[in-house]
Formats: sequence, structure tokens, C-alpha cells
Amino acid sequence: MRRDPVLAPAVLLVWGAVGLFVLYPLGRLLVLTFWNAGPSLDAVRGLVGDWTHRAALINSLVLAALVGVAGTALGLGFALLAVRANLPRWLTRALDAVVLLPLISPPFTAAIALIFALGPRGLISYHVFGLTRVNIYGLSGTLLSETLTYFPIAYLTLKAVLANVDPNLEDSAFSLGARRWRVFRTVTLRLATPGLANAFLLVSAASLADFATPLILGGTKFPVLPTQAFLQITGLYDMRGGAALCFLLLIPALAVFAGQRWFTERRAGSFVTVTGKVGAATRVKTLSRTAVVALALVCGVIVALVLVCYLLIFAASIVRGLGADNRLSLAHYAHVFSGGLKAVRDTLVIAVICMPVGALFAVVLGFLVSRTRFPGRRTLEFAAMMNYALPGTIVGIAYLVAFNDAPLALTGTAFILVVCYVFRYSLAGTRATSAVLAQIDPSIEEASASLGARRDVTFRRVVLPLVRPALLAGMTVLFIRAMTAISATIFLVSLSWSLVTVRILEGITNLELGQASAFSVLVILLVYAAVVVASLAMRRLNAGSLGQAGTLLGG
Amino acid sequence: MMTAERGKRLTLEHVSKRFQREGQAAVEAVNDVSLTVEPGELVTLLGPSGCGKTTTLRMVAGFEQPDAGRISIGDDDVTTLMVYRRSIGFVFQNYALFPHLTVFENVAYGLRVRRLSESAIRARVRQVLELVGLPGYERRFPNQLSGGEQQRVAVARAVVVEPQLLLFDEPLSNLDAKLRVQMRAELSRLQRQLAITTVYVTHDQEEAMAISDRIAVMHRGALAQLGTAEELYRAPRSAFVAQFIGRVNLVESRVLGITGGRMAVALWDSSLGVPAGAGYAVGQRLSLVLRPESLTLVTDSTKAGEGEVVVPGVVRNRTFLGEKVEYAVEVGAAVLQIVSYDPTRRGVIDVGARVGVACDAAAVRVLGAAP
Repeated sequence: MRRDPVLAPAVLLVWGAVGLFVLYPLGRLLVLTFWNAGPSLDAVRGLVGDWTHRAALINSLVLAALVGVAGTALGLGFALLAVRANLPRWLTRALDAVVLLPLISPPFTAAIALIFALGPRGLISYHVFGLTRVNIYGLSGTLLSETLTYFPIAYLTLKAVLANVDPNLEDSAFSLGARRWRVFRTVTLRLATPGLANAFLLVSAASLADFATPLILGGTKFPVLPTQAFLQITGLYDMRGGAALCFLLLIPALAVFAGQRWFTERRAGSFVTVTGKVGAATRVKTLSRTAVVALALVCGVIVALVLVCYLLIFAASIVRGLGADNRLSLAHYAHVFSGGLKAVRDTLVIAVICMPVGALFAVVLGFLVSRTRFPGRRTLEFAAMMNYALPGTIVGIAYLVAFNDAPLALTGTAFILVVCYVFRYSLAGTRATSAVLAQIDPSIEEASASLGARRDVTFRRVVLPLVRPALLAGMTVLFIRAMTAISATIFLVSLSWSLVTVRILEGITNLELGQASAFSVLVILLVYAAVVVASLAMRRLNAGSLGQAGTLLGG
Repeated sequence: MMTAERGKRLTLEHVSKRFQREGQAAVEAVNDVSLTVEPGELVTLLGPSGCGKTTTLRMVAGFEQPDAGRISIGDDDVTTLMVYRRSIGFVFQNYALFPHLTVFENVAYGLRVRRLSESAIRARVRQVLELVGLPGYERRFPNQLSGGEQQRVAVARAVVVEPQLLLFDEPLSNLDAKLRVQMRAELSRLQRQLAITTVYVTHDQEEAMAISDRIAVMHRGALAQLGTAEELYRAPRSAFVAQFIGRVNLVESRVLGITGGRMAVALWDSSLGVPAGAGYAVGQRLSLVLRPESLTLVTDSTKAGEGEVVVPGVVRNRTFLGEKVEYAVEVGAAVLQIVSYDPTRRGVIDVGARVGVACDAAAVRVLGAAP
């Protein structure tokens, strides 16, 4: 619709914001890497000469691939158990609740817990099995910790994919004489292949971007790119070197992102497994009893491990020093609510500001890209996605480069923290908005226009109320991420504005694991409460499909 | 307030619209359509799917912009005016009720946008809900209503703002057959009562004939013919209109002779006198329009009455429908459709029977001739 007086300003405003807070910092980052009083490759060349940096690149790629494979396999196991094993409803619910834990936990949680469980004096390794030569640091520990943290992403993706494979298709393969394993291989798995690839890429991207886990468990022998970039800047004050490391990380991250987009877009066309109406309800028969038992055993061990990890974190927070002095004590919580209170308050303030701002941005963007036509629409959609798709370390360093000096000296302010979260974590809300709008016939908006409402009035009175579920979903994700993120914002905090996650990291580096645990428990409780409230609100809004907290966080 | 004559004249002048889909040739959706709807009149745009009727309506509403031509409401050129600045009421095929608002708020929506006082809103919503027969439904939500009720709310929402123009986009196509007949009578009554200039889009010729003052038959983006239902039925200007409005036998013929205001045309082996059409010459080929109900079956094929042509044929098929019987009768190489009413009194003829088909000259029309 041409000549709309509201559309053009809205598009310009969003473009302006995306330009300033997404494109400008990334541009500054590239300029710093490749421009030193003239075009220069010195910074990148310097990296290649350094053993640690070369190793970091290789380690990052190997780790991402391994975590991708392990996480996808585990996710597939859980997904099969959830949608193909005819489990009782309460058991799938319980499975979901446990699997959700790693997704909403602050970073480091799995890492600290693994140190407690499998470290040199770990509960499981030393106290249960009496092993003394277990080394949790390095590739194996990082791999285990990241797999435990990120397999839920694969689980949520594959659960949706498998749920859309109509059991009647499997039935028809059975009717043609195929046996279980053959049906599973040729029908179930075949139809889930794009989903598997997508899950692998999502998990790999998460591993590639992970900064917290290798920082704790990688040690000096296992450097990866995000931690190296962090240390280059905070340890050596070498901005150019940090920027160059970011560039090395940028290439595989973009490749994974492009691959993932290719798969999600192709999935819509190649296998039409999502038919509106499922055929006759049929009991799924692809998994034999033995297969179910085997899957249940594997998943049971993982669930137990996750639960033990979280129990250990909780235990560490309520004793003086887990493993050394196991007397009950509330000292760690006393610290959280005295010296640590400022960080808690700052984090909450920033999270609460982020929610409405980010959710509104998400809905406006979602509306613009899915319901209006303007030149450069696809480009805007892509640009707005950049900060979300790139590893937080890159975004954080880019912000540091762009906003540390005049004219835009913003680092250390609450403003830049909010901006960082809004442009990094609004995408979930944008997607939810597009999903909701896809179910609403455009004639509803035309009806409003025909009754004399301008575009902005229609947006306020019709679109906004209808996308309330998406708004809520967007706000929940923003809250969770603002409470738990660290990779980008660690470069932006200051004495006046600190974050809980940064305090957790300080606790770990100062070897005050009890304090770190107490902070973690607090964050987990707050976030879990938010998820529960959001789920209840969703149910009231009748937004069944968006109602599960899982969908809020998957992808 | 709801009875005053306040409809405005709607004028379309040489309106065209083409759609360009990615990777496809442009489609001429509407091609040079000119049309005037008089104040208070109800004109139906009738045609098969893809004929451009909905696109035309959406251009009148302002949802689409014409590529060429001019649209005016009253004396105002609205061709490029935004939807919300035109005073229209639009009833959508799927009703497009706001799912998050109650019936009251749905109907009040346009009034709130116009910033009426709360008391005025309440009074007018109540009045219009009574008008459409839904008093007491104020607090329900759209998903608690039946199809017919949703339809009424949609109409109430469109008329409550007292639009200068009322636009219907196949409003009855989602209702079952019985309700459709009932609702079209109600819509017709309401439109006459409110006297709002109305454009109504449908593909159902019976519906169009039942409610329209005039019908604009559209074909491949162009206006095929405009006239009252009777004019279109009696004097279709093209084979398309003849076939779309009612059922028809088109019989090939040619001009045998022209004398004064009349001309003789061939019908089977006989000659038939009909009013002369403009621009016909002796020997020219043309089509004759024979409606199934104006043909009669006679048992004796040799005895023709005054001004009547009788031709022998064989009954090939017969459908008994209660108040009428439909026959397919083979005459020469062609098969004619013939309808015979009141079979109880007139009797039914068996398949295979040899009959005569009698055709009254007065009922024959030359395709394209003046009515």
C-alpha cells in the first residue's frame, strides 16, 4: 500500500536503530582489523604466527563439530523417547522440565558442577569411584560440559520435527512389509534429516560462541577463539588483536549461520511433512520395547547427571566449602544479599527495562517484515538478525570498539547494556510475531483500515492485542537472557553497572565457588519463576503453540 | 438517522490493474472497466473466479491502487486516497471480525476510530445490532457465534459508521445453501432501508439476480455487460453472458433476408422472423439464444402453429426435479436442453421417445441484438 504516512517513518526508525547498533559496530570491528593507517593484514598475519591463536582456531572448529554431533545424537535420543515411545504424559513433562534447566541456567553452571562432580576431588570421580587421575580440564571436560548445556537445543528442534512426521506414514511403510528398523531408517529418520542437520548446526553455533565453559574448563592447554579474544583484550589490552581474533571467529560463525538458514528455508519446500490435519490417530510402533528401554537407560543417565550437577550447585551454595568443609552455612547467601546485592539489583533493573523495549522492537520488526512491503525489507530482516546470529564475544568486542570513545562513549552505562540485549535477543519475539501473524488473515487489518483506522491505529488496536502471546514470549526470552548472558556484556560492564553473571565469573576466578553457586541458584530460581509465570500467562492467552517455555528458547 | 438517502454516486472510469508476480508474466486482472453506480443503487459484479471482480472491488475500497483510470465517490476523486480516508463499509468473505474484541467492540471499532462519545457509541451500536437482529449479543466473542451471526456482526460493523459506500466481497459464500437464501433477502432489505450505494461481488448468478438493481457481468478482467437481471437474461450481448446468466441453447444460424424493422433468420430448416439487429447483412452467420423453458415438447412434429417452428428430435436424457423435468433432446447433430414445468399436469416423456421441439418466434433472441 503506497502513500502510507506511518510506514516510512517506522521503517526509517528501525533501519536507523539497526544501522547504529548492529552495522556500525561490526563495521568498526572490521576497520580496526584491516585498517592501520591504510589497508593492512598485519593483525591477521600476527595471529597466524602465534601458536595459541592457530590452536584456538582449530580447537574451536573441532570442539564445535564434536559438540554438534554429541548434542544432536543426545537430542535425537531424548526426542525419540518423548514423541515416539508412548511415554505417559507426566513423564514427558518431567523430561521437559529437567531438559529445560541447562537452557535457562547462567553460564558456568554446568562447568562448576562438573568440577564438583568430576574434578580432581570430585564427588563422583574421587568419592564414589576413587579415581585420582581424572582430568576434567581440556577438550574432554569442555566437550562434556557443552554437550550437557546445549543438547536441549537439539532436543527441542528434533522433538518438533519428529512430532510432525505423521505416524500414518510409518504405518503405510509397515503395511508394505517393512520391518521396524527399516521403517525407522527409510521413513522416520529420512523425514527428519533436514531437522537433524539443522539441530547439528544450531548446537555447533552455540558451541562456537560459548565463552564461559572453555574459560573455566579449557585451561591453558585448550584455547578457543572466544576466550582468546577475551584474554587478548582484558589481559593484554590489545584491541586490534582481539578484533582480529573476532574476525577469525566470524567466518565459521557466518558459515554455520548461512547453512542453518539454508536448511530451515529448504525444509519448508522439500519435505511437506506438516500437513494441516493428521490422519487417523495411530499408536506409534517404530520403536521396539528393547529400543525404548535402551533409549530410556541412556537418557536416564544424562538426566541423572544433570540433576546431580544442579544438586551439587545447590549443595555448594549452602555449605562452607563443598568437599572441604561440609558444614551447613548461609554465609554465601549472606554475601549475595549484601556485597552482591548491587549486581542482582542492576541485573534485574536492566532485565526489566529490556523486556518492554525489546518486545516492542521485536513486534514492530516482525510486523514490518511479514506484513508490509518496502524496498530493502529482506536486507533489514537479515541485518537485524546479525547480532543474534554472531557469537556474543564478537558483538561485545564490536560494541567495545564502537562505543568506548567519543562521540558515542556508552560502555559502562545501563543504556548500552540494554541496547546490547535488545538487539541480540529480540529475535525470538520477532519470530513469534511472524508466526502469530501468519495465522491471522490480512483481511482483519484491512477491515480495520476500511473502518477508518490509520496504519498506526490498526497496529495499536488490532495487531498489538492479537500478537500478545508473541509479545509475552519475546519478553520472557529477553528476561532470561538478560539474567544469564555474559559473552557480549562482559566487555560493557563497569563499576556503576555490573551483572550477576560477571559476579559469578569473579567468584570462580577468585576460587569462591560457594558464592558463585549461591548467585547461580538465585538466577536459576528467578528465571524458573519467570518461565512458570510466562507459561501460566500464555495459557490464559490461549496461545497453546507458543505456550511451552521450550519454544521460547529453542533456536 | 438510518433511513436518510445519503448514498453517493460511484464512478469508475477506464480502471485497469495488472499484477506482477515474481518470475511470471504480468496478469491483466482488470482491463479498462468503466461503471457508474447511482446513489442508493446496488450493483453486483458477477463473474467466474479470476474475472477481476474482487480486484475491482478492492480498488474501490482502496486496498489496491489502479494502474490506470479514475475512481470517484460523489464528486471526489479517490483513486489514490488511502483506505481509511474513504467513507466505506467493507464486508469480507471471511467476515474478518477482530477475534480479540467482543461483538460490541467489533461494531464500535469504527466509531471509536472516529472518536465518538461513549454514549453515542453505545446508542448506535445498540441500534445497529437491533437492525441486524442481534440484540443481546454485545458481550460475546466472534468464536462464540455461528456463521450467520458472524455475518450479521460484519454487516453491522460496516454500516454503523454510516459509510457513503457499502462493499461486499462474496459475503455469503461461507454459509450453507439455506442460510444463504435467507441472508441475501435480509441484506437486500437492509440495503434498501439504508439506501447506501452498494457494490456486491459474487460468482453466484442466482444470488446476483435476487438482490441487484443492476448486474455487471465481468469476463477476463473486462466488463462484459451491464444491465438489470431481466435485460441480461433476455438480451445477452455475448455467448459468455448468455451462458453465465441462466441456461441456454445457442443455435447457429444466418440471416436470410431483411425487410424494414425485421429480419428472417434460419432455424433448423425453417425461417423465423425476429426484430432486425443493427449492422446485420444478408447471409451473415449469427447465434440464436433459445432458453430451455421457451422450448416445448410436442408429440406431433408436423403441426406447427402460427409464428412457431417445430423440429423432430429424440429424447436422450431426462431428469425429474419435482416442479420441473429437464430433458436433453437430440436434434440433428445438436443436443438441446429443454425444461418442462408442472410435470404432474403435463406428464413426463420417456427417454427414447420421438418428439417435436416447438419454438415460439417471440422467445427467440439474436445474440447481441437490442432488448
